[in-house]
Amino acid sequence: MAEKHFVVIGSGPAGNQAAFTLRENAPEARITVISKGRESSCVPSLLPDFIAGKIDEQGLLVCQVGSYKASGIKLRCSQEVVDLNIQAKELILAHKEIVPFDGLIIAVGGMPRIPERLQVFQDVMFTLKTLEDANFWIDRLKKVESVMMIGGDLTSLAVTKTLISLNKKVYFILNEDAFWPLRSNEELFAAVATRLAERGVDVLVGRNVKSLQRLAGGEIQVQVDNQYITVGMVGAFFGLVPEIRFLARSGLRIDRGVLVDEYLCTGVEGIYATGDCAQIYHPEISDYWISLGHENARTLGHVAALNLVHGDKQLEVKPQSIFEVQGINVNTSWWTEF
Amino acid sequence: MPKVDLTIEICGMSGDGTIAAGGLLNAAMARAGLSVMAFDSYPAEIRGFGRCVTRARIGDEEMLALHDKTHVLVSLDDEQSFSRIPFLADDAMVLFDNRPPSMVSEGRSLAAHVEPGISLIGIPFGDLAAQAASTKRGRNIVALGGVAAIFSLPPDYFREVIRKKFKAKGEAVLEGNLRSFDAGYEYTLENYRQRVTDTLAHMENMEDPGRILQSGNVAIAHAALDADVKLYFGYPITPATPIMEYLAKALPEKGGRVVQMEDEISSIGAVLGSFFAGTRAMTATAGPGFALMTELITHGVMAEIPAVIINAQRGGPATGLPTKTEQSDLQAAVFGGPGDSARIVLAPTSVKECYAYTMKSFQLAEKYQTPVIVLTDFFLNNRVETMAMPHASEEEKRDGNIYPAAGSKESYHRFAVTESGISPRAIPGMEGFIFTTTGLEHSEKGAPNYTPENHNAMNAKRHRKIDSAMTDLPEPQEFEAEEGGLDVGVIAWGSTFGAALEAVHKARNKGKKAGALKITAIYPFHEDPIRAFMGKCKEILIPELNYEGQLANLIGHLHAKDVIRMNQTTGLPIYPREIYEKIMEIG
Amino acid sequence: MKSDNANDKTIVFSTEPEDFYYMDVNVPCQGACPAFTNIPAYIRALYEKQYVRSYEINRMVNILPGVLGRICSRPCEDTCRHGESELGQPVNICHIKRAAADFLGETPGPIQKELLIRDKKVAIIGSGPAGLAAAHDLATIGADVTIYEAFAKPGGMLQYGIPEFRLPRSIIKAEIDRIMELGIHLKTGVRVGDDEAMETLLAEHDAVLLAAGCYQSNRLNISGEELPGVHSGLEFMIDVCQGRPAALGNRVLVIGAGFTAFDCARSALRLGSQEVRICLRRTEGDLVVTKDEILESKVEGIKIESLMIAQKIIGNGKVQGVEFVRTHPGPLRPDGKREITTLKGSEFVLPADSVIVATGQKPVPMKTPAEQNDRGLPAADNRSLQTSTPGLYIAGDYLSGPSTVIEAIAMGRRAAEKIAEDLSGKCFRQWVVRMENTQTTDRERAWDFIERQAMPTVKPVMTRLRNVSLEIEKGYNPEIAIEETKRCYLCFLHYEIDIDRCIYCRYCIDVAPRDCIKLVDEIITNETGAITGFVETNNWSEVNAVVIDNSRCIRCGECMRVCPVDCISVTRVELIERMEPTEASHG
Repeated sequence: MAEKHFVVIGSGPAGNQAAFTLRENAPEARITVISKGRESSCVPSLLPDFIAGKIDEQGLLVCQVGSYKASGIKLRCSQEVVDLNIQAKELILAHKEIVPFDGLIIAVGGMPRIPERLQVFQDVMFTLKTLEDANFWIDRLKKVESVMMIGGDLTSLAVTKTLISLNKKVYFILNEDAFWPLRSNEELFAAVATRLAERGVDVLVGRNVKSLQRLAGGEIQVQVDNQYITVGMVGAFFGLVPEIRFLARSGLRIDRGVLVDEYLCTGVEGIYATGDCAQIYHPEISDYWISLGHENARTLGHVAALNLVHGDKQLEVKPQSIFEVQGINVNTSWWTEF
Repeated sequence: MPKVDLTIEICGMSGDGTIAAGGLLNAAMARAGLSVMAFDSYPAEIRGFGRCVTRARIGDEEMLALHDKTHVLVSLDDEQSFSRIPFLADDAMVLFDNRPPSMVSEGRSLAAHVEPGISLIGIPFGDLAAQAASTKRGRNIVALGGVAAIFSLPPDYFREVIRKKFKAKGEAVLEGNLRSFDAGYEYTLENYRQRVTDTLAHMENMEDPGRILQSGNVAIAHAALDADVKLYFGYPITPATPIMEYLAKALPEKGGRVVQMEDEISSIGAVLGSFFAGTRAMTATAGPGFALMTELITHGVMAEIPAVIINAQRGGPATGLPTKTEQSDLQAAVFGGPGDSARIVLAPTSVKECYAYTMKSFQLAEKYQTPVIVLTDFFLNNRVETMAMPHASEEEKRDGNIYPAAGSKESYHRFAVTESGISPRAIPGMEGFIFTTTGLEHSEKGAPNYTPENHNAMNAKRHRKIDSAMTDLPEPQEFEAEEGGLDVGVIAWGSTFGAALEAVHKARNKGKKAGALKITAIYPFHEDPIRAFMGKCKEILIPELNYEGQLANLIGHLHAKDVIRMNQTTGLPIYPREIYEKIMEIG
Repeated sequence: MKSDNANDKTIVFSTEPEDFYYMDVNVPCQGACPAFTNIPAYIRALYEKQYVRSYEINRMVNILPGVLGRICSRPCEDTCRHGESELGQPVNICHIKRAAADFLGETPGPIQKELLIRDKKVAIIGSGPAGLAAAHDLATIGADVTIYEAFAKPGGMLQYGIPEFRLPRSIIKAEIDRIMELGIHLKTGVRVGDDEAMETLLAEHDAVLLAAGCYQSNRLNISGEELPGVHSGLEFMIDVCQGRPAALGNRVLVIGAGFTAFDCARSALRLGSQEVRICLRRTEGDLVVTKDEILESKVEGIKIESLMIAQKIIGNGKVQGVEFVRTHPGPLRPDGKREITTLKGSEFVLPADSVIVATGQKPVPMKTPAEQNDRGLPAADNRSLQTSTPGLYIAGDYLSGPSTVIEAIAMGRRAAEKIAEDLSGKCFRQWVVRMENTQTTDRERAWDFIERQAMPTVKPVMTRLRNVSLEIEKGYNPEIAIEETKRCYLCFLHYEIDIDRCIYCRYCIDVAPRDCIKLVDEIITNETGAITGFVETNNWSEVNAVVIDNSRCIRCGECMRVCPVDCISVTRVELIERMEPTEASHG
């Protein structure tokens, strides 16, 4: 029988870890990683530090250039999966190549989310997920003195810290979309707002953006309810939406993310989803959960790979999962709120 | 060191417009002020399907040779391009059609084969062409748009060369191609903004209209026209055919004629007849055709009739490798044929020299009354180079005949034995100068004569004549050898020389004492300068694209010790890196 | 497909099963339309700016183009070939239909009417889509039709179920008025069963069609459903449509996943509610509501929550919230939906001021002499639509349960046909496949790359919410509409290679946009002779034909344009309904 072919889609922290765990546990298998990006992805959570100038580009990388090749993992960069056929166990790539697999780990991560009602203002909002985004921030920050942050996900807090270190005036609209898709509550809001205010941030809690308008000088005029604030740039931080549109026709169970069980299996034998794009159903807590953050992603990638090879390692539940971000304890909670 | 040195390759199936795209790319690059050396390879079969590859090395300095690594691969047909993957540089860029007409199985797309360090640039060539011009036939032009965008080459130069190429095909075709180019250009800018470099954006010679792109074949034909050749006789054969094709159009405009003969024997016969009658003529052929000509070439030697023969070498023996390059006809050119039939053999090393030596061969043939063979090879004939428009002075163009002095009619001996071996030559019809000509050994008056004394004297005279020609032949040229004390001296001829010189430059940059000697007069050759060069070198390396070491066989004995031979018969041009590595191995 | 001589200009009508099979496979949009609307034909007519013709092609089979052009569920677009994964997005078929209605200009003249069964009296209960369609068809053949409508205005769900911002009332009125001009009697405010007995109707008419729709809302059957602030979706919409909406408060939870749920949620926003959530048992991806509808709802600020089932409604004298339990989707069922299981212990509460339950509706029981089914409703055969009472037929949602407007229209027409057949012993309409050689592609390849034209909508959101009846979708302007029509592949064009004239040059394959032209060894047909597949080969010795696979063909016309021997024919094949009275066949 021919060697098994394992495919990992995505080369972020989760996909990267999954590929190397597969390699360790299935030395004979053929392993392919398919990634939309260049040779090595960057760790998104380090981007604020990169903007602040604390780390260089090399320090952002998920893994060293060349490490895939050294491990005998085929890395396909700049290539995109557009369809999955779960019956035939085949992936269709954008350039119309059909890639068959014996096992699949979907680790495509997410892309910055902008709520539908604000999508008309997309052009004037900066997001932060890729190195390219970070470079846009760096460029723009050279020219502006003030920044309006809208939303309020984990990244936004790190970015705020960076902005303060760069002596920028920061406004922060902390509203219902904050911590999406996590449960937001008034207690948490209050804690975050206080902390931000202490650091000199102008916090507007629970207020809604009515419009954004680019002025002649390039500044952005933000209408918050009936108040107008003019800032140099606007950052949108509404969490990430999994990039799983390519799975729409696949027949996999999909809600906000790919629905998987406690073993990260999609319910189709040999197909797993992990990292930010997985929406995990856990029987012990009787609910769905989505992971956030770089370390979690690595753990999930590892677990998915082990399960794909061995099929029996259950994900360890950490009901008390706590993230230490900027001195604020953010309870990531179980994923009950969408 | 050059600032820009890129090798761009377009690969496709015949019918994809690969060669056409290469031509346009080269022209646009030249227009943008870059130096270009380009070489196409066609399918081995004369008709039918197969891979076409066009490779261009471009840079800001004059090109001596092609590069073995490709920096940019444009794939018009992935199935054909797989074999090119091993030749990609580590940081190469691959442009491919990311919307092929049908689904392909794993591994049947170029994308499956590129290493992560290589930039993969997917451009829907076919779809963009179809979108722009309602037909996907312009997909090769879309690909050019992609190349232009990636390297920030001014699109106007491409539009200019596209206009030039398609204007005769009607407004619709021209507009379709221009739109296809723009579509590729815009798509690439939009989708690959981060990959765009300005490497080729601003070249100094951008607006120099005197620079042209010319192939060895066209340079030869061009020289023939400038030399006022009136007649071309030939029989088509790869890689010499383009000379005939070019002249077939150009010669009649100047009152001349191109005649396709029934074979190569009649072709050389007609050339001899034409020169005999005092009119410049030419033929061009390749190995198999040259073999057919040998008897009549020796007829020219014996009867002392001028002739100019271009031998565009290809892979041999026999039919051999019709579309591959080789330097294996040297011995046939110098020694081929019955009898002691010394003749003049020249071998240009560049497109510029193709022009110069073709031009020169007419004078030499006339002055020394003997066939002159210009030995080129597939690579030299078919490659194009950017250069200034070549031209020859009136002196270089003039009639080379040494006519008999007026008043010598009574005592005129057509084959008079002279010190130089040159007998003044009358053209039939010159009043009073009567002589006979024959392929039989003959007396000074031209009558058949087999006496021992006569044959000895005549053989000696004919060889003296060839020795005399030495003074009119280009001397070997030394490079990097002024100071002497070299560890390695590289002697090379023909298309191999450029690669050898580049290798020497590279070796010297690495601290190696290396020099080069260019030999363009293959026969007769200048022994003393060659010996002098050899004397400066510990080791002599002679790289050649043949198995037997044909130049080494000819001159090797001049060196104090055995020369080092580097023989390659891959059918491909030799690359500087290969010679460089050999140089570094020596001593 | 028979008759494919390129010079044959005659029109052929076929009723062969193989031709119906061909239509079903190769013109998928028409096959997907419950009313078999000739979609390529009306799209092409609009492209030719024949707005009246485009409108009439629609109206002949789907009766209400202006209405359907706005609110049709668009099963056609799901099967549109342009939406295949490698080809982009489906043609905006629905909005082109609307454009035909929008651009009509002067109202077309009266609908043609033939007095074929003039002495027959038919009563129709319900003036919704099914009833209107049946009334229309019966009136066009001369029947004396009376519609009994319980509400004050005709239109059924169109009038009382769909909010004005999706379907302006002027459109409903205009299209119904034109139908009424056929001489149909309309009695509004008459509820059969209450105001008029079914028996009376049966006695006074030759036939009665019950098409009263579904007006009884489904209940959740959970505790708290009786609390003030809990509304049935349909009743809420009827109230909204009659201009007397219920007061909702700030926080509204809509439970349901259909069009009604979305209409309720969007209406709630317009009534001033601040926080409106639609709560789904399954996921957003499982919604049958159109993607545009979902997006527009979100843009307006509606939140969509998934994987939850309401367990009980909480409140003390008034609704305060709903307790949900998480669901988990299981494997796919044969009907394409997923099993849903609830997750024990995952209960959670969402606060609410009002709850709208929009989980479907069912017919209101009506007393008739006919036999009843197990749900206490009069029973009818799904094919013949007949009940056990002679002369009493049932159609539309009343028979099928909640369906779509286009399905109801299709069934209403079927009922009319059946009634006419039973009353006269004749068939008045017949579906045939019409074939006409055209020898023109009617398309440009470049059109395949036009993006789907978005429907312009009212922005910003504030404007929408302030003006409750303002239609959100503004309609295409002619320019956009024509652009969208170009995207249609015109699947009704059938391309075929005449094997006897093909010279196997494969130019067509070279320019093919995808693997639509095949080298085949064998053609596979089913028992009716219809082509169902091909045995392809790459081995030249096995190639028996070059064929166009019409199920892959996107009708770009490139093959036809490059064919050097003109062996590719184009036939326009259409599934059309012919008004042609024939004796009814029994069996």
